[in-house]
Amino acid sequence: MRALVVEDDAIVAADLVAALQAAGFVADLAADGETAWFKGEVENYDLAILDLGLPRLDGLSVLRRWRAAGRDMPVLVLSARGDWTDKVEGIESGADDYLAKPFKMAELIARARGLVRRAAGHASPLLRIGRLTLDTRRLSATLDGATLRLSPLEFRCLDYLAHQPGRAVPAGEIAEHLYGIGEDGDVNAIEALIARLRRKLGAELIETQRGYGYRLAGNAA
Amino acid sequence: MSARSLRLRLLLAAAVAVLLAMTTAWFAMTWLFQRHLERRVADDLTRLALQLVAELSATPGGALTLAKPPADARFETPASGLYWQLTAGTERLRARALWDETLPLPVQSESARWTTRSAAGPFGQRVFLLERTVRPARQGRPVLVQVAQDAQTLRAARAEFGGELRLFLGLLWLVLSAAAAVQVQLGLRPLRRVREELQALQRNPTARLSAAHPREIQPLTGAINDLAAAREKDLLHARRRAADLAHSLKTPLAALAAQSRRARSAGAVDAADGLERAIAAVAAAVDAELARARVASVRRGPGCAAAALVAVEQVIGVIEHAELGAQRVFDVDVAPTVQLPLAPADLIELLGALLENAARYARRQVRVRAWQAPGATLLSVEDDGAGLDISAEQALLRGGRLDEAGPAHQGLGLAIVRELADATGAEMALDRASLGGLRVCLRWPAQAPGAP
Repeated sequence: MRALVVEDDAIVAADLVAALQAAGFVADLAADGETAWFKGEVENYDLAILDLGLPRLDGLSVLRRWRAAGRDMPVLVLSARGDWTDKVEGIESGADDYLAKPFKMAELIARARGLVRRAAGHASPLLRIGRLTLDTRRLSATLDGATLRLSPLEFRCLDYLAHQPGRAVPAGEIAEHLYGIGEDGDVNAIEALIARLRRKLGAELIETQRGYGYRLAGNAA
Repeated sequence: MSARSLRLRLLLAAAVAVLLAMTTAWFAMTWLFQRHLERRVADDLTRLALQLVAELSATPGGALTLAKPPADARFETPASGLYWQLTAGTERLRARALWDETLPLPVQSESARWTTRSAAGPFGQRVFLLERTVRPARQGRPVLVQVAQDAQTLRAARAEFGGELRLFLGLLWLVLSAAAAVQVQLGLRPLRRVREELQALQRNPTARLSAAHPREIQPLTGAINDLAAAREKDLLHARRRAADLAHSLKTPLAALAAQSRRARSAGAVDAADGLERAIAAVAAAVDAELARARVASVRRGPGCAAAALVAVEQVIGVIEHAELGAQRVFDVDVAPTVQLPLAPADLIELLGALLENAARYARRQVRVRAWQAPGATLLSVEDDGAGLDISAEQALLRGGRLDEAGPAHQGLGLAIVRELADATGAEMALDRASLGGLRVCLRWPAQAPGAP
């Protein structure tokens, strides 16, 4: 797995590279925004760890340029700024996760692995059910071609329903799939999750089969 | 009202000024009334004196004779208060009312026109006296004609008039003083508004005094606004420097953390532990300082409004991307039209602290509601976690501050929410959520139109 570390502080950068290498990544380093943009454009990385305060070109601009050029590797943003407005701006610019400095290296490695794991492992990344398309590599979805903003949990719920063609899935089963062990009150959480998905997708895309459960419209056996 | 009260000073000044005016008016009007009375009495006495002169003649021997004395009965009643007297050398004709008394002779030489004076008269009376010298025969002796009236009647009339006038002017003084009090009240009302707006300014450094003040105090409000702007600028500058300092510490802290890991891998475990504890303490202090700086810059300004749904979805979007929120279901019940009375960036900070806290303690689900109620806008966030520890709740209700947040930021989230709520004029309530965990409810009372 290749990771690009974009950090201008030499000590932090060296520490990041060493920790990533210890975790099994092959890490490249870029110490400024211009270099980072160039490397991200021409190389294929499985992950980028991007500091926002960079010389020559700031981190958010680098991220926007990558996304505009179709570079879709997961990006973990590191920043000294921890304001929520900055976090919102980072995520809306295309970041996949956000970690404020100073960070615990174990947490950074765990998040980096999580991002890589989520983006990999699907041989056929696109799954189409009627008007809905799920990109299992990017964990994103489109409806009639328009991108939907889904949380990982929402995506996993849709993904599970999509893999149950022609069958209504009970809320308890969805909860077991999402949470591992079902507990009292999980059904309520699943109902809230379905309600939220319906608001994003449109009410008609998730059907309720009374007494049985939920299924995606057009997902025939 | 203290002695330093402007209202008291103005009221006292007005009351004293009106009292002086009333007293002067009393003296002037009483004097004018007396003059008027004396002119009327002088006219009456002149008429009587002319009757005397018309009836006056001299015998061939030069003796004075009065053909017909004036008919007024008071001339015949002793000590009646109305007297006449004719004097030619040592010869003297008198009204019977004088009995054995005489009217005082003039000090000055004879006068050819009617003159009046006040003098000590008969029977111990003070008299108002009219007199002149006439010559009944061309070659005859000059005759001093005197007609007098007891001045007591004049004094009594004047005293009666003065008493009634005093009562009237006293009432007038009360009415004018009351009018002055109303005038002072009306005149100072704009200052009361200035005071109220200054109190708002004290609560909110971004507030300013409104322009809707009388022209006369606009220079004052303008100067206060300039001062407030300068103060806010200094404050912002200081806070920005504190925030910049805090931010600038974060990368060195990350570098220190790297050194700590290096030390640990080299076997210096104790040193690494100590270093990490110090880094955690500095990081917590830096975060608290940044949060405080952030909170300090947040105020509920006039016209501030942010779409609740947009901000809620933006913040949830961030939390869902983090491991913390990736497993949580966010149940959002916010109508697109709901607006919360604070700036969008401030709302995002508040929601960030609130939702991150809820996501941290939730088991599965976080519910967000925002709605407009009569007279208030409300926002509630609840989770299905274990609920807030009662001591923490008590600490928050007691007024827990950012400084009181526990180690590793425990409690910092709600402490930030509380301070943001205070700064934006919201009331914060904690109770048991219907989902089973904690419910945090913020209520922004509607601001009166035109309130600063």
